[in-house]
Amino acid sequence: MYKLLLCLKYLRTRYLAFVCIVSVMLGVATLIVVNGVMSGFSTKLKDRLHGLISDVNVETERADGFAEMPQAMAARIAASPAGQSVEAVSPTVEVFALFQFHVRTRNQEIVPITKHVRLIGVDPVRHAKVGRFAEYLVRQKNAAAPNFELSREARERLERNQLFNWDQPAAEVRPTPPGQPRPGDFLQTTGIEVPDQPPALVPPPVVPLADPPRVTGVIVGYSIAHTRYKDPKTGENLEIELLKPGDDVFIATVGANGTKPVSGTCVVADYFRSEMSEYDSSFVYMPLDELQRMRGMDGRVNALQVKLKGDLADDGRFVHEKLIPELQSLFPPSEARVVSWQQHQGPLLAAIDIERGILNLLLFMIVGVAGFSVLAIFTMIVSEKFRDIGVLKSLGASNRGVMGIFLSYGLLLAVIGSALGTGVGLAITENINEIEGWLTRRTGQQIFDRSVYYFDKIPTNVEPLAVTLINVGAVGTAVLFSVLPAWRAARLHPVRALRFE
Amino acid sequence: MLQADNLFKSYRRHADAVKVLQGLNLAVADGEFLSIVGASGSGKSTLLHLLGTLDAPDAGAISLDGRRIDDLRGRDRDELRNKTFGFIFQFYHLLPELSALDNVLMPAYIAHSTAGWWRARRQWRRRAQELLERVGLGHRVRHKPRELSGGEMQRAAVARALLSRPRVLLADEPTGNLDTDTGGEIVRLLRELNRDDGVTVVMVTHNLEIAAVTDRVVRMSHGRVAEDGPDSFRPRLMTAV
Repeated sequence: MYKLLLCLKYLRTRYLAFVCIVSVMLGVATLIVVNGVMSGFSTKLKDRLHGLISDVNVETERADGFAEMPQAMAARIAASPAGQSVEAVSPTVEVFALFQFHVRTRNQEIVPITKHVRLIGVDPVRHAKVGRFAEYLVRQKNAAAPNFELSREARERLERNQLFNWDQPAAEVRPTPPGQPRPGDFLQTTGIEVPDQPPALVPPPVVPLADPPRVTGVIVGYSIAHTRYKDPKTGENLEIELLKPGDDVFIATVGANGTKPVSGTCVVADYFRSEMSEYDSSFVYMPLDELQRMRGMDGRVNALQVKLKGDLADDGRFVHEKLIPELQSLFPPSEARVVSWQQHQGPLLAAIDIERGILNLLLFMIVGVAGFSVLAIFTMIVSEKFRDIGVLKSLGASNRGVMGIFLSYGLLLAVIGSALGTGVGLAITENINEIEGWLTRRTGQQIFDRSVYYFDKIPTNVEPLAVTLINVGAVGTAVLFSVLPAWRAARLHPVRALRFE
Repeated sequence: MLQADNLFKSYRRHADAVKVLQGLNLAVADGEFLSIVGASGSGKSTLLHLLGTLDAPDAGAISLDGRRIDDLRGRDRDELRNKTFGFIFQFYHLLPELSALDNVLMPAYIAHSTAGWWRARRQWRRRAQELLERVGLGHRVRHKPRELSGGEMQRAAVARALLSRPRVLLADEPTGNLDTDTGGEIVRLLRELNRDDGVTVVMVTHNLEIAAVTDRVVRMSHGRVAEDGPDSFRPRLMTAV
């Protein structure tokens, strides 16, 4: 009883002990906030990564794709035991490509921009069933049957672009070098006439919209089509649209057989915005059959994206120990490799976990500092209480009892500090965007630069397990650091303690 | 009977061993009020600490009713300090964070677990209250030690020492820090407790006037009992007073 009584009395009378409480509180709050934000980023990143890649991928390194046709492969998967777990399959062709388009500068100069991109040929409807493809489309967001068709506005712009040169003085138009495809080449192959030099002062001919020409639409990563910069005058983040739906783009890649380059001109139909900078700046989707035709793949593909039923994808043991071996057994290892989305993004996911682990380790040092403050303050308190310890022992308090006083005191301070820290940490995490906004307004310095991340808000995710572990760790550390002074108090000889000056 | 046989005790100070007790023998009868006098450094307080099991002798034995208590360890020793002995110190040694009542209740707090205390709290509080009233502090129950005078603090310390109804009160210069009148009050209180409750009192004092009121006076010198008993010592003591 005396341990509890003295703990509570010391808590109320030793104001120095509040330093311990504040130290533990700060440590716990910092860890909760950082974990919440890191987990938010991590969860959002994993969510995005998983949104782009289906649960399981069957892929090949062969440039010409699987030897077997995708329909036959899908049928084999469906007929196998693994087929019961499969909800949908989307055949795709994925290759690296050069992507070129023209923009007009402020000086009305037309300049070509070339980027290397990841060109993905998909059947949009099937692809939407294996991931979040439709969710990330800008114009056709969450469309049940997304497609590569041009919208009315895009088609009108395409038609205006075809007449682009009518608006330009002939002398300023750069001649296309011999042998290089020009905007409109693809249209020429489809029978639409594109004049080399527009006749001066002749109004553009009106193309009837009722009979649209066939064009190959592509869905372009949002960051390929847009660029951001900070206005030096206002400090605002501005976005410039480099490519609009209806603009034509030139795409070149390697053919399926040998290294012979193949190319084509397509028209922007939509944007793809996953809020993952890396993907938004490199992904270009085009119709599967067009890419197969362009590369000469004869209907073959180099990847099958497999969507699993229900929550099976969350069962890592089932996926990695049962499903993947079953799927792999269907195809020769030299021909196809079966990987889960986690394995596909293994290094990135591992890097996130390592980063988080290291950050936690470093931040736990704050709790370590709190532990040292507990040690220092408790050592002072024990020294100050030498006589009282002697009195307690003369009244029959045991060594364990005296030790218990200081351990309980350490525990009490740690529990209060952790509880306050948890409250403060959760409150900050919950309102982190408001706090960031306030700090940005007060300091004029943007803390969370939205031009770097394509997130509008700082993502947070409070994991109860992490909060529990932080609390247990903080309380454990504080109690651990109070062991030494408590042990010293317990070992104190009563006569020496009573005679202490 | 509390008995010390051939006690030796020395303390090491730097490289030297200071011999405090050198073959001391003493027997204290039940219900006796004994005072121990002697020059500073004669080993009075050390003897008191050894009798109360706060320290252990280097050699010799201490027994209570024929049972050795100097080599007790752990729970038995703690229980003896808690229930059989009551300590009164020169500087009162009340716990500054606690009220007078809580200070008096401390032996009971130590004796009980939280649940045990909860069950027995009423009777202990009643006893503590009675003791405080008996020592004249009934109106100071909620006061902290810093709000009490020296005499009041010592009276609270006496009440604390009495809470567990100890058989032996060990008082180490209980009047040493008090003025003559207040010191006299404390000794009268001890005398009363000894007479009315039959508590054995062993008191260390420098004050011969106070020693004179006890049943028996023992003078210590160089770690031994130099003079013992009313017959040989009291006449000279009374003369000195």
